[in-house]
Amino acid sequence: MAHFDTEYQRLEASYSDSPPGEENLLMHVPEGVKSQWHHIENLDLFFQRVYKLHQKNGFTCMLLGEIFELVQLLFVVGFTVFLANCVDYDILFANKFVNHTDSSKVTLPDAFLPVDVCTARIRDNAFVIFVLTISGVFWLHRLVKFIYNVCCYWEIRSFYRNALKMTMSELPYATWQEVQARIVEIQKEHQICIHKKELSELDVYHRILRFKNYMVAMVNKSLLPVKFQLPVLGEYVFYTRGLKYNFELIFFWGPGSLFENEWSLKPEYKRGGNRHDLADKLASRILWIGIANLLLCPVILVWQILYAFFSYTEVIKREPGSLGARCWSLYGRCYLRHFNELDHELMSRLSKGYKAAFKYMNCFLSPLLTVLAKNVAFFAGSLLAVLIALTIYDEDVLAVEHVLSSITLLGVCITICRSFIPDKHMVFCPEQLLRVILAHIHYMPDHWQGNAHRSETRDQFSQLFQYKAVLILEELLSPVVTPIILIFCLRRKSLEIIDFFRNFTVEVVGVGDTCSFAQMDIRQHGHPAWMSEGKTEASIYQQAEDGKTELSLMHFAITNPQWQPPQETTHFLSQLKERVHREVTGHTGDTHQYSLSESEPRSLIANLLAGPSTLGSVHFARDASLANHAATAINDSASALRSLSPVSGSLYLRGSLSAVQRGHTSTISKAMAGSGTDARTVSSGSSAWEGQLTSLVLSEYASTEMSLHALYMHEFHKQQSRGELPRHTWHRQDSDESSDSIPDEVRSEPPRCSRNLPRSHTFPTTAPSPSDIPKSASDTSTNTRGQEGAPPSTDRQTDSLGAGTKFVRTARVPMGGWADDSQAVPRYPEPLPEESSDDEMPPHIHKVT
Amino acid sequence: MNCRSEVLEVTVEARQVEESMLALLHTILLHRSTGKFHYKKEGTYSIGTVGTQDIDCDFIDFTFVRVSSEELDRVIRKAVSEFKDALSVSGSDGMGQICLEFYQKKKSRWPFSDECIPWEVWSIKVNVVNLANEQERQICREKVGEKLGEKVINVVEVINRHEYLPKMPTQSEVDNVFDTSLKDVQPYLYKITYQITDSLGTSVSTTVRRLIKDTLAL
Repeated sequence: MAHFDTEYQRLEASYSDSPPGEENLLMHVPEGVKSQWHHIENLDLFFQRVYKLHQKNGFTCMLLGEIFELVQLLFVVGFTVFLANCVDYDILFANKFVNHTDSSKVTLPDAFLPVDVCTARIRDNAFVIFVLTISGVFWLHRLVKFIYNVCCYWEIRSFYRNALKMTMSELPYATWQEVQARIVEIQKEHQICIHKKELSELDVYHRILRFKNYMVAMVNKSLLPVKFQLPVLGEYVFYTRGLKYNFELIFFWGPGSLFENEWSLKPEYKRGGNRHDLADKLASRILWIGIANLLLCPVILVWQILYAFFSYTEVIKREPGSLGARCWSLYGRCYLRHFNELDHELMSRLSKGYKAAFKYMNCFLSPLLTVLAKNVAFFAGSLLAVLIALTIYDEDVLAVEHVLSSITLLGVCITICRSFIPDKHMVFCPEQLLRVILAHIHYMPDHWQGNAHRSETRDQFSQLFQYKAVLILEELLSPVVTPIILIFCLRRKSLEIIDFFRNFTVEVVGVGDTCSFAQMDIRQHGHPAWMSEGKTEASIYQQAEDGKTELSLMHFAITNPQWQPPQETTHFLSQLKERVHREVTGHTGDTHQYSLSESEPRSLIANLLAGPSTLGSVHFARDASLANHAATAINDSASALRSLSPVSGSLYLRGSLSAVQRGHTSTISKAMAGSGTDARTVSSGSSAWEGQLTSLVLSEYASTEMSLHALYMHEFHKQQSRGELPRHTWHRQDSDESSDSIPDEVRSEPPRCSRNLPRSHTFPTTAPSPSDIPKSASDTSTNTRGQEGAPPSTDRQTDSLGAGTKFVRTARVPMGGWADDSQAVPRYPEPLPEESSDDEMPPHIHKVT
Repeated sequence: MNCRSEVLEVTVEARQVEESMLALLHTILLHRSTGKFHYKKEGTYSIGTVGTQDIDCDFIDFTFVRVSSEELDRVIRKAVSEFKDALSVSGSDGMGQICLEFYQKKKSRWPFSDECIPWEVWSIKVNVVNLANEQERQICREKVGEKLGEKVINVVEVINRHEYLPKMPTQSEVDNVFDTSLKDVQPYLYKITYQITDSLGTSVSTTVRRLIKDTLAL
């Protein structure tokens, strides 16, 4: 047998079950699902949770907070029931004696009732059982919610860790803008939204704020019945959490609501055909929900009390004076909110305005009450002093019946009285304060300007900024009032509501149905009186009131510099920015702008100067010493700024610094606005700006810049609408019958009426005409001199402004922080009111043309 | 929301319902099916072959292509005939809607069941008309054929867009993306639901679920 020695051999391991020709088949490598974060089902909820976790500073904080809340609730209810039922107060008050064998001391446990007596007492008391049941349900509800939340947020936590690559410990120090930038970034990789390759910032905002935007728009268009004409109280705003909850229940998610799910309006509501049927349907639903509210009233009441007790006792306990403190009302938050503004942005804005708002409201303390309070405080104080002195001498005084309690009561009494006595160093300058407030809250009805000193304005402002105690009272009343409002007021508006949702809902690819106002499209919803003249094609029905579209757009663009708006919007924005920039940098007068971010009254002048029309009129910088002062200030803050942000410092501040040295011409406001805008333009160009520090710095600039723009836009608006009657006023209930009852003087009063008031002649801070307001910087200086020279001449003035006038004298110029030496005051150039108003006329004409 | 939705609308005679639905559903599924995956040890896979088949309709002048898989055909036919029966029983104005929903499963941890997340939904709205005489039926026969042709082109256009599709899974995950129960073909996970008359709105159960979810999420 011949042995063939060839290369040809059988391969060893070629026995496999694959069919012949396998090698020719295409082989694929699966990508696999790398992350679990692609294609998230409910992006609305997902983004909301991501946002909430960020706001709650991470998972652990949130978890701990919620656990403690649960324990607290249990404690509060248990302790209250125990105090009410299981304590023998006779023993505590020593009305009854205990027989002790060994000692005569009464101990605490003696006062406790035995367990069986206690349970019997509880069992017999139907009310206690009722309250206990409801709180039990309440607690269980919160417990279930808590467990559910833990599960959900655990997932969000792993999203932060794995997808966004952020640990929980660094979360509190990351801004939302950073988180958002990362979300936008990972969309490219994970495709959490399947409709688009890339997410925009606006998409994220739309999803988080879908329903809030609707609510803001409805309040803006005065669709919701929250203002009422009451016989005694006059116009009254009633908007509580309970009412808000019911609105949301009806519109957004309750059974049979207008929305099919989180992201789409039911198709029948998008068609105009059977709007009357739909309105009838809605009306009957509102009726049923109102009736249900009425029936559940006692339950809701207890629930509310629990809730209120739970949320507010701590505050009351800690500082009894805080009940007198004010807070931004729920209505105010809705009225002042921009479209597409997240909670934290709104809150920081309002908090910045808080101080000024508080001061503004305190300007209006009633002189009568002040006199009374001073005297009551005097008597109470002397009694208290005596009692305390006696106690110090011999502490047995405390053992005398009611001494301790009277000391406490007197103390409380004095605290309350003190809140009615104005601060000695307070200056009555409502117009300026209102401007500072405006710089932060960004919205204000037209007729407030120039009328800041009037009590109507004050009353209207108090609708936005109410007493906390009133808030709590309203919350407690709300279970009773809510059904009435629903049944009698909201039901009538059902057709308007249907129309609103049909007309103002747009479907955005990848987002779903959103409120069209939230698109911030100048063309569709711009208001010609708010700088979008010629650009807007909106009818009156479509225009957002108070320049909300324009201001919201500005705000959104400033807070989200990376956002790329559509073409015409970009045009509008750049035009506006350029204008503001020019106004701010083109003049030397606004050197003082650096203190804009403070809300101290002495920065008022700086704030006033932000108003464009003044810029030409005031020339503080002429004064050498002042300019030096300003220059040093600029130097200081410039170096501070530079240390904060190296890039903006090097880019802009260096320039401004050198300019300062050249001739005090440059301004820190330029530096601020400049580096604010431009640095961020830089940042939008390059993604190198990712550091935490820079973004923080930027967000700080952003609020200043926004304030600047808001003031500018209000100023511009005022100039534009000067001469014509204000089209909309604070009362915009045109669609409502109750609008007839609004007093005409408030409604149609042009802002300059105040000129005719006797007060405004003697009281110079109230500017005679709207266009003159900004000059009150110079006014105040003139003012002070006037006051010093001529004491208050009319009785009337001392009467009504008793506190105010005096304070003008005691406090130096409101700008004392600047020129601390009062000698500087006479050295001011003398910008007479007439002069300055003359001065500013040209720019007016210039702008209007 | 996080899913594409396409709507097709057809107007047919009662006896054409079944065939027209089959034609559309099969056309969509033809483009949303692959051959069976054969995974290798190295983490790669090869794709089996899929045959196609021309089907002539009896009541419509129309021929469509479907995946030659008897099993798949059986499943679809069952769903469609249920729909047809429901439609004829309802006796209302003959409106109905059949939904073909492609979804993927996502594993969740303990307290939640696996989520089925749809990524594409095709809703086919059917309008049933009654015709008086034979001549009209003849015209209808041709017309419906033409219309269906248009719809098929429509479907192909939509499918040709470069839009989101679930990523090709690894062996362990294949069940989350593909329906692997069939022997000869492997479509993306799908679900066929139907609805007679579209005015039903959200059902009570979804509202209740919604209510609970919302109170929890507060």
